[in-house]
Amino acid sequence: MTIKSRFKVLDNRLGVKASFLPIGVTIAGNPERLAFILHRITGIILVGFIAAHIISTNTLAREGWEAWIEEVRNLEGLNPISLLFIIAMGALSFHSINGIRLIMVEFLSLWIGRPEKPKPPYDPPSLKSFQRKAIYATFILALIAWVAIIYVMLIW
Amino acid sequence: MPIDLKAVTRKPPETVRFYVKRFDPETGRVWWQVYEVKTYRGMTILDALLKIKSEIDHSLSFRYSCRMGVCGSCGVVVNGEPRLACQTQVAEKATVSKPEIRVEPLYNFIVLRDLITDFTEFFEKHRRIKPYIIRRDLGEREKPTLEYSQSPEELSQYYEYSLCIMCGLCDASCPVYASDKLFLGPQALAQAYRFIADTRDEMWALRLEELDKEGSTYKCHFAASCSYVCPKVVDPAAAIQRLRSILFKYKLRLYRKKVSNVVPPMEVKAKPTPLPPEATVIENVSLEKLEEEKPLIPIDKLIE
Repeated sequence: MTIKSRFKVLDNRLGVKASFLPIGVTIAGNPERLAFILHRITGIILVGFIAAHIISTNTLAREGWEAWIEEVRNLEGLNPISLLFIIAMGALSFHSINGIRLIMVEFLSLWIGRPEKPKPPYDPPSLKSFQRKAIYATFILALIAWVAIIYVMLIW
Repeated sequence: MPIDLKAVTRKPPETVRFYVKRFDPETGRVWWQVYEVKTYRGMTILDALLKIKSEIDHSLSFRYSCRMGVCGSCGVVVNGEPRLACQTQVAEKATVSKPEIRVEPLYNFIVLRDLITDFTEFFEKHRRIKPYIIRRDLGEREKPTLEYSQSPEELSQYYEYSLCIMCGLCDASCPVYASDKLFLGPQALAQAYRFIADTRDEMWALRLEELDKEGSTYKCHFAASCSYVCPKVVDPAAAIQRLRSILFKYKLRLYRKKVSNVVPPMEVKAKPTPLPPEATVIENVSLEKLEEEKPLIPIDKLIE
């Protein structure tokens, strides 16, 4: 009889919820995790948006000009469809700007500092390098882009 | 993880309530047990656990060894953050307004009993990246007669990553490791980079082929939680990004690595240092004989 068959074990794996909740870290010390979570959520929103976008834009081919104009008119003012569109645009602005940061960091290994000997106060080089500033810039730029899109859609 | 100096030096609340997540392997029961511990200034979580074990509950199980953040055995989750129990102060986690601390076994590991986790999978993954120097000159590797040359600049490229103590905190905090069993994890990937960046190693292509597989390196999405929780500032997140950059170049056939040569030891190669010009040799005095002779005044008396 093996140990595993005699005794029970507990699988403490967090599963998918770790991709959507900041478990294991505090967001104040690890904004990269917040960017990671937002990138995942916005990615899922964009998948839904692309599907809806393809269906709505081929209205012209399916039903003609009048139906197409009716489709576009849905985005005027505040209604459920334009609200979903605003959410999708927010997701798009964050996902695209954060994507540029990720390409620089993940493919070209830029903005993550140089390896160095640990010294007080023991901050890892990658968490104090330019990519940390790039994250804050990403949040601000995405917010500005989103506000601009909402302004153009609803007020302009 | 950066240390909050103000928090670690202040006095903790007099009594702190410890909520310990426990698991009984015989019945499979999981429960939170509460212990009230009297604290003192400078008390660590490990000290508190040892106090619980010796004074309150002898059945509480946890793993520890060195008590000074060197062995990496006492990794636990404290208030939702993976930490080394011996390096976390009670004062850092418990405040006067909320004198409570939650202690759990490490996330993403299999729990054997109470706070003890199974590291078999962790070490298997570490083994997969071949964590040792591989050379073509087998004879020299097994029975070295000479040395491998390496400059301080070359050493600094991987020194940071060689400080890993294999405590498993990075894997416990990784959101990708939590959901993907095939993912090698930050620890193994950081070690893979450590050996690829080492100029003494020649089998980088072998490792890169292994890391190029689905589920290895490309699953990392730079949440950087591993670097944030690492107690030894190993920075696995940066290592994985560098590794991926190397893989990108390797796939384009642009990656070139400098491999160090075998050289004689420094002491054989170097010429003896000449005496300074002001030094004069006294005739009829042999230094070797002087060393053999007993001193006129015994050493014991000199010390007195």
